Amino acid sequence: MLTFLLYAALTVVSILLTVQSAHVLYLMLYTWDQPEAEAKAKAPDTFLPPELSFTVMLPARHEENVIKTTIDRVVRCDYPPDLLEVFVICSADDTGTIDKAEEEIAEVAREGVHNVEVIVFDDQPINKPHGLNTALPHASCDVVTIFDAEDDIHPAIFQLVNTVMINDRVNVVQSGVQLMNYQSTWYSALNVLEYFFWFKSRLHYHALEGAIPLGGNTVFFQRELLVRLGGWDDHNLTEDADLGLRVSAAGERVRVVYDDRYVTREETPPTLGQFIRQRTRWSQGFMQTLHKGTWKQMPTRKQRWLAFYVLAFPHGQALLGVYLIVSLATMFLLKVPVLVALVSSLPVLMLLAHFVTQAVGLYEFADAHGLQATPRAVLRMAVAWYPYQLVLAYAATRAMRRQLAGRTNWEKTQHVGAHRAHGEGADIHVA
Amino acid sequence: MSHEGRPRLVVVHDGDRPPGGRATPPAPRRPQPAIITGRFPRLNRRGQIALGAAVFTGLLTHGWHLFQYPLYLTDEGIYMQRAWSLVRQTRLSPYTYDYDHAPGGWIQLAGWAFPLPNQFETFGNAVNTGRFLMLLVHLASVALLFEIMRRLSGSILAASVAAFLYNVSPLAIYYQRQVLLDNLMMFWTLLGMYCLLGRDLRIRHALGAGAALGIALITKENAVFFVPSLLYLLHRRIKSSPQRRFATSLFPFAVAIPVGVYVLYAILKNELLPTGFDFDLNNPPADHVSLLYTLWWQLNRSQGSLLSSGSYLYTSWLIKDTPFLLFGLLAMAAALYWGFKDREHDPGFLIVATMTAAYAFYLVRGSVVLDFYIAPMIPLFAMCIGLVTDRLLGRFRPRLRIAVPAVAASVLLLVPTTHYLLTINTEGRVAVADQYQPRLNLTRMQEQQVAWIRKNVPANARIIMDDDLWSALHDVRPFYPSAHSHWNASSDPAVRDKLFAKNWRNVDYIIMSNKMRQAIQGNNGDGRENWILAALKNSTMVWETSQGGIKLQIYRVG
Repeated sequence: MLTFLLYAALTVVSILLTVQSAHVLYLMLYTWDQPEAEAKAKAPDTFLPPELSFTVMLPARHEENVIKTTIDRVVRCDYPPDLLEVFVICSADDTGTIDKAEEEIAEVAREGVHNVEVIVFDDQPINKPHGLNTALPHASCDVVTIFDAEDDIHPAIFQLVNTVMINDRVNVVQSGVQLMNYQSTWYSALNVLEYFFWFKSRLHYHALEGAIPLGGNTVFFQRELLVRLGGWDDHNLTEDADLGLRVSAAGERVRVVYDDRYVTREETPPTLGQFIRQRTRWSQGFMQTLHKGTWKQMPTRKQRWLAFYVLAFPHGQALLGVYLIVSLATMFLLKVPVLVALVSSLPVLMLLAHFVTQAVGLYEFADAHGLQATPRAVLRMAVAWYPYQLVLAYAATRAMRRQLAGRTNWEKTQHVGAHRAHGEGADIHVA
Repeated sequence: MSHEGRPRLVVVHDGDRPPGGRATPPAPRRPQPAIITGRFPRLNRRGQIALGAAVFTGLLTHGWHLFQYPLYLTDEGIYMQRAWSLVRQTRLSPYTYDYDHAPGGWIQLAGWAFPLPNQFETFGNAVNTGRFLMLLVHLASVALLFEIMRRLSGSILAASVAAFLYNVSPLAIYYQRQVLLDNLMMFWTLLGMYCLLGRDLRIRHALGAGAALGIALITKENAVFFVPSLLYLLHRRIKSSPQRRFATSLFPFAVAIPVGVYVLYAILKNELLPTGFDFDLNNPPADHVSLLYTLWWQLNRSQGSLLSSGSYLYTSWLIKDTPFLLFGLLAMAAALYWGFKDREHDPGFLIVATMTAAYAFYLVRGSVVLDFYIAPMIPLFAMCIGLVTDRLLGRFRPRLRIAVPAVAASVLLLVPTTHYLLTINTEGRVAVADQYQPRLNLTRMQEQQVAWIRKNVPANARIIMDDDLWSALHDVRPFYPSAHSHWNASSDPAVRDKLFAKNWRNVDYIIMSNKMRQAIQGNNGDGRENWILAALKNSTMVWETSQGGIKLQIYRVG
């Protein structure tokens, strides 16, 4: 009886995981599979004349190394300065970043640019959403947007969003964010591809279905909408995903643009520890958001289900990591009936399909950004692949533990500028 | 040529002008799909009528008289007995499964029979139940074949000609009514082709096509001869389209899933490799069966040439339908020629012709060929003939283009020597051909044989018979658990040594037919059937019936 229950459980879990991972595969390939979706994801070929004004928020914490370049990038983009205002948002104790920012402001002022200011907050909690909420009342433009301090912004991004917002009559635009340094560490190629599939494919599906966890930057809101929604959730570790779901629940259409030419470039976390902390924060943020229950306010059942599905994913990830080991063990160590063993091998086949897809994705990514993917890189990815899944599972488990222990403080990711070639230039060449 | 303007599988390369006008401006970053989407318009009214007529014809020719003709075949019995074993015993065979065939076919048969109200007995007996599935599979295959032909050639005429022959040829009716793995395999192959000819090829179509091909491979391994042509078709459909990388890498993956599960099954049972990696053909592994050993053994089987006298080509196939085979062969040659010549702009010919040629190579290469191995050739030849007919008639006026095939079809149907609809019977008179002849009920003889056994033979009797009656004696009460086919009685240790101990005195009854007698002789090269023949010598005939060239008997031993 006990063995029967064990077999039944193994079979059911295997089938569920197979279905789930087939669905994830479908979402990863969504844009490629649907020619219309790809056409929609692209940026318009011609831009309208600048009309909307933008408040650019640059929340920064201990970003002395990169903040000057970032400010420089924003003020020098192809958009009239009188339609832009830039806020560098720092907490009062971060004097290093404040000083560097003031330095840069003085430099650009000498060139006649006066639309940058530093906004300082000295109350708790010291985190990104609280900083953004502090700055929001100061914003005066039509559209509010967020960039992270380490972002490499495309100079035409404001023209692009100006055109899309006017043409498509939408109040929220999410443009693509792409990690670039796919050869820096053993895990960076896989991390880069996660972004690639997420922004290029999967987000479009979420936008279409009306349940979209937004990204943390290169996201554009009509200011009034943001004020009406009450800004960001100070206590959420993934305030971006939470806001995305609230936007969806309010019935706002979100336009996602992923055009390889206009993506915002970022870097993968420099060390494994940093990577795990970042991933733990995201997983825990999703868990918080799930617990908070915004997803229950979605209008349709399908939207609610989709939102729940995304938010519950870290839980699934933790389970998957355990399952991988169990599945291999049952196949070769446990003497289970052949049929049960065959069924429990199905998720492994799906994981292989995921790997094939990611290997192809690497070539697609390299092609799109003028880089050169090599069989060597694929081989590296193959070796790194299983440890990477285990790291993700570990981060998810860690998040679960933190969440259960009630520890919800912000573990910040460090930035070194590995995606920037000598700190400048939009074209980067990864060796 | 006049058929240039018709919509068909036309391949347009990057930068070329698509046929029929407007050039698409080259996209700055993304190459354009290689195939202009929407080149296959939806079926118009005429096409719908032709398709409907094709399917209806298939229903008539294959459905009418389905359970009466032809005689139940040994192999039909084997597949049904294995499907039965899957449903009743959750095993791939009631005997030791030795990987002689991949199990996809009878898994499908079991999947069909399992949900039916009376399971295997729903249509009278197990083989009938299998045959009904064959009818459904044929109808689906006709529709697929029709659409594949229309998309490859852009011609409803080509599609109709191919579907007509696929439906009406006596060869088609004889083999496609039988429960054969080949028929299921062809269905999956056609489905795979159809997926690759979707209006605009998406990743999911490539995945679907790959999965269909994978299932075809584990239904019958000789689908492997179609792989190159299907890969070529895939290549032509996605060349320089945005999803080409995903499609080309996920297609083989989808193929590998069913095949991989089959191989994994063998690994899990520790039956992939023979013990000690011993592939010596003269010394088969004794301790356990092995997938790769069986595969190696089958690759090395040889049995004279198909072209030598006495082969099935002369004794069976040409007798059933000479014109079809002759024109099919000519059409294949013509299609190969045009296919290589025009492959750049019109790959349809090359794809169909290479599939046909590859399978023809398999038949003539000198390995073991069984009578029903011709079955996959029927749709392939039909497609070749359809394509070539359309091309030859392309220059003619529309009315003539219809009239010529119509006359040819009438000749085939009305001239009795073709056996299409009419035949000349033994008395020299014109009569309805055997496959439709209401007075000819071959399978009834086998039913009478079973009925006699039920009435006169006790359920515990040890019986040697052929596989065609296996399910009848194991699935209907009273069960005859000790009834085994002479194949298993002469080779399966569990039956041969444990039950019969190779001693004729342990046999109670032999259920015989003239076909089985031939099979015993053929299978007795090493004397393995000698003790069964001894039983036969020491027996008395207790029942007999015959009709035409068919003789059925029952012997009591001792």
